[in-house]
Formats: sequence, structure tokens, C-alpha cells
Amino acid sequence: MAAAAGPSVRCWLWQRRPLLCGPGPRPVPGGGAPLRPCSTRGAQRGIHKPVIDRIIRVDHAGEFGANRIYAGQMAVLGRSGVGPVIQQMWNQEKEHLKKFNELMVAYRVRPTVLLPFWNVAGFVLGAGSALLGKKGAMACTVAVEESISEHYNNQIRTLIEEDPEKYKELLQVIKQFRDEEQEHHDIGLEHDAEATPAYSVLKTAIQLGCKAAIFLSERI
Amino acid sequence: MWCLSGLFGSRVGPAWYPLLRVVSKGSQHYPPVRALQASAVLGRASNEHKEPLASPSQQHFDSPPAGHQPEQKPQGLHHSYTGQGGQQSEDYESEEQLQHRILTAALEFVPEHGWTAEAIAEGAKTLGLSVAAAGMFHSDGSELILHFVSECNSKLSELLQKEQKLVQLGEAEKKPIDEFLRDAVEARLRMLIPYIEKWPQALSILLLPRNIPSSLNLLTSMIDDIWHYAGDQSTDFSWYTRRAVLTGIYNTTELVMMQDSSPGFEDTWRFLENRVADAMAMSSTASQVQSTGEAVVQGLMGAAVTIKNLAGLNQRR
Repeated sequence: MAAAAGPSVRCWLWQRRPLLCGPGPRPVPGGGAPLRPCSTRGAQRGIHKPVIDRIIRVDHAGEFGANRIYAGQMAVLGRSGVGPVIQQMWNQEKEHLKKFNELMVAYRVRPTVLLPFWNVAGFVLGAGSALLGKKGAMACTVAVEESISEHYNNQIRTLIEEDPEKYKELLQVIKQFRDEEQEHHDIGLEHDAEATPAYSVLKTAIQLGCKAAIFLSERI
Repeated sequence: MWCLSGLFGSRVGPAWYPLLRVVSKGSQHYPPVRALQASAVLGRASNEHKEPLASPSQQHFDSPPAGHQPEQKPQGLHHSYTGQGGQQSEDYESEEQLQHRILTAALEFVPEHGWTAEAIAEGAKTLGLSVAAAGMFHSDGSELILHFVSECNSKLSELLQKEQKLVQLGEAEKKPIDEFLRDAVEARLRMLIPYIEKWPQALSILLLPRNIPSSLNLLTSMIDDIWHYAGDQSTDFSWYTRRAVLTGIYNTTELVMMQDSSPGFEDTWRFLENRVADAMAMSSTASQVQSTGEAVVQGLMGAAVTIKNLAGLNQRR
């Protein structure tokens, strides 16, 4: 413990940065030592950089994955009766991804290394679930959206615990997105998601996958 | 031992390092009263931030680590122990600031003594501290090097930010990316010129396993800075490829600079120019390959749809 604390405590020296007053919402650059809760990097805007980093990184990865899932579903079910519904949900996810791209640049957050992997995995999940039929696609939607809503709720709780005033804008964005994901979840239920054969197995498996994806994307 | 000093470092507050060597290793969490007194002494002595220390207070520093401060006892206990998170009250220099000042002062002795504890000791002397202050740092000069790198990175950040402001105010032209990267790397490498003789030694110390996390951290944040000011807004995997490429360019150019003996390091700058040009060519080749690939995929999709139509598989479900 002492040995681990040694270099990281000394690390304060190497992460010191002058407090830059950049134009626009750009926090101070620099690498925060893992043991330092408040690195000078976020000090300029008073934000808790490591926490915000994780939140934006994992949300970006999530929206990216959701995009690919809907793309996969559209590839299979695009010309079926349920196509327009999926298309509309997909459009909303595209908006979400755009917003997180902007936030990522504004807060200078690094994207997760696993993006190419989520690219393929999301598409495969979407296409795979759609091959089980319309109900399968809807079941996948329900499972993923439920995971995402819960995850957004956790983040909202975290941010509120930290400082609701400081993170007002981010909180607003996440709340709005959570509401929209909840809508998608309800749409999925309306379209007979629960009538899928092996619904609970499918749902559990997909949600486990989502939890793993969230865990990894936050860290890597 | 040094890691223990790290443990007690900025977290626990005021600089009573010189005492640390004498203090028993047993006291893990609460510094002994003596240390508090020493901290009071050091704290009061380094009262005003950037002013030279008043000579009477300097006398306190000259007392050796094991020194006694019976006369400081009453004042020591008054001095509030606010050091928990490295916080400081107004008239109180934190240990971090003190170390920062010593290392900055030590830099001017590096060309002569190298990146060693001697340079740090000389630096401490110019601040009026005892040479024992060099005991705060590790004997191989790692902290001095890391401090120097950190300072250079900060200077580079400021420089890039100033340029960005000028461009935004319309007083300067926005540079094309290759020129921007070239200028940024050159500006950063030029900061090494006064210390170029001893820099190979510094590089080898930075590669010690103990220092690798810090030096890697500094390197990656510098590269990220440069790309940020170059206007990089990527949010996909190219975020990583761009930084990897620039890191490669920076490291190789630094190594070339080490053994460059041309006047004004012209060989190095020419090398840098070529490497940046290579990187640009590589990225344009990559995008060409990608668009060719996409065109091929489109062609294949078209063929697949045609076949599906011919086979009657393309019905509305």
C-alpha cells in the first residue's frame, strides 16, 4: 500500500497544470493520477474529471452500441411491418449519439478502445435478434432499453450526489435521454416483446451482456 | 524509505520531510509532535509565497533534521494541522509548493551537475534552504526530470493556447494540420536544447519501471494537448491512431535530436518534417483505402440484391 501510494502521491507534481482559461467549455488538459480525487485537470471548471470522464465515455459507447443494434435490426426487418417503428427509434438514438459526440469533444473525454468491437457486436446482436422475428427484435429492444434506463438512473443519482448545480446541463441531457429510452422500452413491450419464445432467457442474457459492456467501457 | 515519504507527502500536509528520516517508521498515520513543530517552523519560514525568505527564519532550516526545537513548542501546537488533503491556509506554503520551488531552482544547475541530487541540493541552497532538503527527493533525480517535463508541457499548453486565441481573434491564419503538428513538436523539443547534453541520461531514468507510469502519463497528456489544439474532434478509434502516430513522431524525433550535431539542429527539424509528411500521406492513403473498400462493398451489396431479386427472395414479408 505504501509502495503504491508512493508514486501516485508523488504524481501530484507531474499532473500540475497552470489553470488555463480556454475559450469555450474546455477544461484544463493533463493526466490525473488515479488516487487523486480532484486533479487540476477538472479544477478549472470545478468538475470532478474522473467521474465525468467515465460517465461520458460509457454513455457514448452505449449510444454507439444502440445505434448499431438498431442498424442490425433494420437490416433484417427494415422492409417488414415493424420497420418504421424501428426506424423511428433508430433516429432518436442517432440524435443521442450526436449529442454525446459533442459532449465528448467539449469535455475532452477519450472514447473507449472497444468501439470497433461494439460496432460489430451491436450489429450482430441487432441482426441476430431480428432473425428471431419481430418479437425477438422487440425483446432485444426491451432488454437493452431497460438496461440503459437503469444505467442512466444510476448516473443521475451519482451526479446528484456529487453536485446537482454544477452538473445541471449534463443531468438535463441524461434525464431526457433516460426518458426517451424508457419510451423505447414501452414501445417494445407494446409490440409483443414478451410473447417471444424463451423471452426471460433472452432478456437475461442480453442484460448480462449489457452490464459487462458498461463495466468494460467505463474502464477501458 | 522514499515510498514512505511519499505516503506522508502532500496528503498529510506541511513539509516536515527533513525530520522524516529520523522519525520511526512505526508512525503510519500521525506524525510525531516533533514533525508538527518542524512543519510549523517550515510553514512560518516559507510564509510569503514568492518572496525571498527572511533571514532569521532561514536559520530554522539550517538546523539539521534531528534538530531540536524546544523553543518552537508553544508555537508549533498553535499552528493548526490543516494538512489533511494538502489544503493550505493563506499564509502557509504547502509542501507541494515548496518542492516545486526547489526543483525549479535546481534546473539551472542541471547542465553542470546533471539530473542528480547534487543539482537539487544546489537549487535548495539558492533558496536559502539547507542541502538536506535534497533528501526530500529520490537520489536518482527522477522527480527533477519529471518536474522539468511537466513544466515543459505546461509551457507548450500555454503557447498553443495563445496561438489559438490569436487565430480566434482573427489576428493569425489557421495553420494546416501538418504545419501545426510540426511547429508544436518543434517548440516542445526546443525546450530541451539548454539541457541537451544531459538529456540522454534523463531519458534513461524516465524509462525506469518506477517512473514509467508518470512519464507515460505526461507524454500522453502532452500529445493529447497538441491534438486538441490542432482541432482534433474525433470520437472514434481514430482518436487512438492519431495519438499513437504523433507519439511515434515525437519519440523518434527526440532520439534523432540527441545525436544531432548540425547547426541549429536543422537535421532534426528536417527529419520531423519528413515524418509528419509521412503521417499525412499515410492517413490520406488510409482514407483512400477505406473509400475503395466502401465502393467494393456497395458493389457486392448491389450484386446480392440483384441475385435476391432474380431468385424471388426479395418479397415484402
